[in-house]
Amino acid sequence: MTTSPVKLWRRQKNVTSLIGTKGKILQWTIIRVPGKSFTSQAPYPVVIVKMQDGEKMIGQLVDWQEKDLKSGKEVISVLRRLRTEDKEDIIHYNIKFKPL
Amino acid sequence: MKINILGASTTKFGELWNVSPRTLAKEAMENALKESGLKASQIDALFVGNMLSGILGNQANLGSLIAEELGVQIPAFRVEGACASGGLALHNAINGLKAGQYRTVLVLGIEKMTDHNQDEITNALMAAGSDEERMAGATFPGVYALMAQAYMQKYKVTEEDLAAISVKNHYHGSLNPKAQFQSPITIAHVMKSSKIADPLKLLDCSPISDGAAAVIITSDDSIKIKKPVYIAASEVATDTLSLHDRKSFTSLSAVVGASATAYKKVGIKPQDIDVCEIHDCFSISEAIATEDLRFSEKGFGAKDIAKGKRTLFKGSIICNPSGGLKACGHPVGATGIKQIVEITEQLRGEAGKRQVEKAKIGLTHNVGGSGAVAVIHILQN
Repeated sequence: MTTSPVKLWRRQKNVTSLIGTKGKILQWTIIRVPGKSFTSQAPYPVVIVKMQDGEKMIGQLVDWQEKDLKSGKEVISVLRRLRTEDKEDIIHYNIKFKPL
Repeated sequence: MKINILGASTTKFGELWNVSPRTLAKEAMENALKESGLKASQIDALFVGNMLSGILGNQANLGSLIAEELGVQIPAFRVEGACASGGLALHNAINGLKAGQYRTVLVLGIEKMTDHNQDEITNALMAAGSDEERMAGATFPGVYALMAQAYMQKYKVTEEDLAAISVKNHYHGSLNPKAQFQSPITIAHVMKSSKIADPLKLLDCSPISDGAAAVIITSDDSIKIKKPVYIAASEVATDTLSLHDRKSFTSLSAVVGASATAYKKVGIKPQDIDVCEIHDCFSISEAIATEDLRFSEKGFGAKDIAKGKRTLFKGSIICNPSGGLKACGHPVGATGIKQIVEITEQLRGEAGKRQVEKAKIGLTHNVGGSGAVAVIHILQN
């Protein structure tokens, strides 16, 4: 799946402002059968996080261990490469979460 | 205005590799027409419920394609609302009758999924979600798994309780000759099946299916019907696309809203329902649905099903006599119409081995995305 460069450019203007924000895991799951561009990363957890400002976000959990998968676990947002791109696609970076 | 059902038919659901979408559509429509005793030329308009023909089949002019297949040149519309496309198509068709624009219309639900590989379908189905969910690498089972985690945690429900929902639906499917899976399963089968998105396992999930279903409805009261069934309510509500943007992860407010309005308009209580078809895309969906529809108390949906309270020949308010999405199959756009076909057969007393005794009032619950749209229909005889 290719992403329009224009769409990416528009999105990524917001991404930097979100780096380094803390929050707590509300719910988690482990994706074992992903869509095409995420297969190289599976299995990986996806979490819903309540951020410090009260806003909720959904994202992938990286650098994780089994013990991190619980409600209330503190996490911080980090910038990571999103997925495996097609050969001529632009590399896409986005917010993911890391356990604290 | 009374909206009567003149014909209702579904194809076999399953992995139908030797059948094209056109053939599927034709079979469902011709059987519905045959049942109604009408000719194609007596249909005023066509409404087609379909989600994926544009993404998977590169076909985005489906209304005309289906009209061509029926051999007519009438107004034809493709209606899309993820897995609720079928229910939404019917709602739009009913509005066409109520507006007085049409008198007799055909509503087709159709989906051809198994021509494509699993990665492609997983991606395509995520079109029902939001950008944020897609960028998180979430899948549809993943989003429902998040609901399942929240539900199990809040109400102390076990994975075995959820497994019982699939067991019930496979039992019902074993009585339905049109079902994709007609083999009963046990709790142990579900628990041992491979994990898809924790805590959901393969047998908690509805399959990828091909299938079509058609109904013919009319506002023309001069047409004589042997076993009349009519649509008493058709209600739609929407919610945020993303699960994480909602207040609750253990209730779908679109279902609560649409069903409350439907009950009120018909003047019935949830306990008056004899039989219903639930959108059990995952086991957790049926647990939450039976609470949102107010059949069970909050936190008791799964436990009541595990006790047999929604099982044929055992419980009251029988859920998914067709086998539901889990066992009958889930060709996404066809599901909402298949549900109407099943309830029609139940209310006519023509459901064979899976007949709910003395069924008078039936309900269908069709959901798109993770609850971003819900369509509720109430049928009576």
